[in-house]
Amino acid sequence: MKKSIAGIAVVLALSCSQLQAETEISGFASVVGGKVLSGTGVEEFGLEPTFLANYPTVGFYNEEWTFNPDSKYGLQISSELTEGLTATAQMVGRGADDYTAKFEWAYLSYQVNEHWTIQAGKKRLPLYYYSDFFDVSYAYLWIRPPADNYTWQIFNYNGVNAQFNYQLDEWAVSGNIYTGQEDDTTNKLLSEFFGSEPVREIWKNIVGGVLSFNRDWFDLRLTYMTYENERFRGGVPVLWNGEDSRRGKFAGISTNIDYNNWILLSELNRLTLDGSDFDTYLVSGGYRINEWTPYVSYADFDSEGEVHSTTSVGVRWDFHSSAAFKLQYDDVTDDGYDGGQVAGDSKSITFGIDLVF
Amino acid sequence: MNWFKVLLVPIALTSQLAAAEVAVIVHPSNAAAADQAEITRLFTGRGTTFAGGAKATPLNLAESAALRADFDSKVLGKSSSQMKAYWSKLVFTGKGTPPKELADDAAMKAAVAADPTAIGYIDASAVDASVKVIGKF
Repeated sequence: MKKSIAGIAVVLALSCSQLQAETEISGFASVVGGKVLSGTGVEEFGLEPTFLANYPTVGFYNEEWTFNPDSKYGLQISSELTEGLTATAQMVGRGADDYTAKFEWAYLSYQVNEHWTIQAGKKRLPLYYYSDFFDVSYAYLWIRPPADNYTWQIFNYNGVNAQFNYQLDEWAVSGNIYTGQEDDTTNKLLSEFFGSEPVREIWKNIVGGVLSFNRDWFDLRLTYMTYENERFRGGVPVLWNGEDSRRGKFAGISTNIDYNNWILLSELNRLTLDGSDFDTYLVSGGYRINEWTPYVSYADFDSEGEVHSTTSVGVRWDFHSSAAFKLQYDDVTDDGYDGGQVAGDSKSITFGIDLVF
Repeated sequence: MNWFKVLLVPIALTSQLAAAEVAVIVHPSNAAAADQAEITRLFTGRGTTFAGGAKATPLNLAESAALRADFDSKVLGKSSSQMKAYWSKLVFTGKGTPPKELADDAAMKAAVAADPTAIGYIDASAVDASVKVIGKF
């Protein structure tokens, strides 16, 4: 992945500011193990029974126990440089990448006033509801956000983000507007899972926004993003209808309810890319009984040729004020056709501990 | 945890059968009023000023303080785990920073008494003239 100049500036600022500034260090970690209990694999690709739990980082389980696909750690350092100006860097290491730590976030943040903050640097793309805290599993219900929805190969961007926070009567209204680009010289998902030669994936002229309404037990989030896609396979530009670039438009709505210990989570998203629609949705329900939250979930992906869904059942146990144990069973149905299969049907069990500090 | 409380409270704390009463406190010079919704707004990072527009600095008790769980459940309507998950999401996405934490009632009272922008909470039985109570829960 390319290093951004802003990212380097942030790291420099952090290393120089340690002595005089107020520096905060926080972190998160997940240790998760699991295996495929049974699965079909995909005979066409010579793929053994596989559960692709994390598309972007190619985290997958097979019939042997493994702790790699969902385990990860993150360390965040945030330092106030002057009044209102903060430098933040987050390093993340994932089992799917042999735990090699990389800077996933590195940005400068300036608080303009009570309502607005401007940020510049490298950040996570806030596409789906869980995209920008995907790695912080302690912050959500499941072992991982449902894989069928979180399938996109690009999850970071370098650019500028303006975020806001207002109160309108009983409603908290917040959101952000962002623009930037990402040039991933060797995209893992496209190079390793959906191909066998290096793929350079470029998303440029990214412009997007998020608008959230929150009131007591109700949460509504709207998201939109448009970008231009360029791709090089083995150094050769990929052409779509004779053009070397194509435009994608992403829109989504998410509603979440947390009322009297009942939890209902939902997401509905559509990506239109070059005239084709990629539709995703998820719906999850849970009920909190003191420290225990059993849950069920269904997630679905539907496009031309690629069709898959996952039904999940699990439980979260908040056994400690900063740590949770989770156990989850996932049943994946892969109805892909014309070469659109991903990893075949599978039934898997995963369990582990998420923590924050 | 709740089963623990049911079992342990009558045995260990015979003098105190009910959960402690939480007194939300501000600096004596602070004339702003704040109801439960307003306090929740400040302690969840959704607002940074009192109703009159003056700057507000929320102060939390550390998790090791028994009153913290009472504040989270009675005033914010969440368990301490839920609040931790909530703040984790904001902290690691650059959208917010949780309130500063103080070790106990004495440290909280001293900090609020010294800062005209502060809003905190202590056990109602520990209140004295150095701070002003704006709500009891």
